[in-house]
Amino acid sequence: MAERPEDLNLPNAVITRIIKEALPDGVNVSKEARRAISQAASVFVLYATSCANNFAMKAKRKTLNAGDVMAAMEEMEFERFLEPLKEALEVYKKGQKGKKEVSEQKRKDKEKKQDSENDRSREEEEEERMEEEPDVEEDEAEN
Amino acid sequence: MAATLASPVAPAELEVERCGTEEETRGAEAEEEGSPPQPGPVSASSHSRLSKLPLARIKALMKTDPDVSLASQESVFIIAKATELFVEMIAKDAMVYAQQGKRKTLQRKDLDNAIEAIDEFAFLEGTLD
Repeated sequence: MAERPEDLNLPNAVITRIIKEALPDGVNVSKEARRAISQAASVFVLYATSCANNFAMKAKRKTLNAGDVMAAMEEMEFERFLEPLKEALEVYKKGQKGKKEVSEQKRKDKEKKQDSENDRSREEEEEERMEEEPDVEEDEAEN
Repeated sequence: MAATLASPVAPAELEVERCGTEEETRGAEAEEEGSPPQPGPVSASSHSRLSKLPLARIKALMKTDPDVSLASQESVFIIAKATELFVEMIAKDAMVYAQQGKRKTLQRKDLDNAIEAIDEFAFLEGTLD
């Protein structure tokens, strides 16, 4: 499912919101300016990605990580972003940890439930089998 | 059976991947870990969403680069966040030119001026329609 860069724009509503929140009240933004900013944002993503990827490749890693992106920001002369990015990352990591715990807990609960269901059905099977298989001696005796 | 959470995490913080956009379908993004989107009520907590831009879209953009094989969730998040900061920055910088022209409406030419004048935006030259 290869998508071309031209097909992938960032959602207009979100871009507009970010712009509006950055500017003082009463300021308007023309459609062309908005479109250009949105395009610029996409270019930024691509440029930052390429830059970060260089760091990953230098370190012989196949997976781009947070450190690579931070290094890219410095390289691109956006050092001013580093502090807020580090802070946001901390909050994000905590959120992800909680999420992981929740989904792991759910998985454990599910497994426990399945296990107990399996145990129950296994017990039932064993009980039935015990009833169906009388002692050999009894059998012979009956015969 | 009530879910027993070890640590109470405000659900709003977990909304990172579902940032409001009319173009994204909720729950469509299954991140690398494969964990399903968290169901349940989303409380309107004091925490603002971590990222306004949809991570799935950012990731798709990143993957158009043929040299990129894998990207960690964190890296996608940071790029999303950085892009947000970038948009704020370029809007503010362009606004200076509008104000110089005594205008209250930001126009395309203000963007062009900012890109030409500011070193950090040099990478944008020749890239916009």
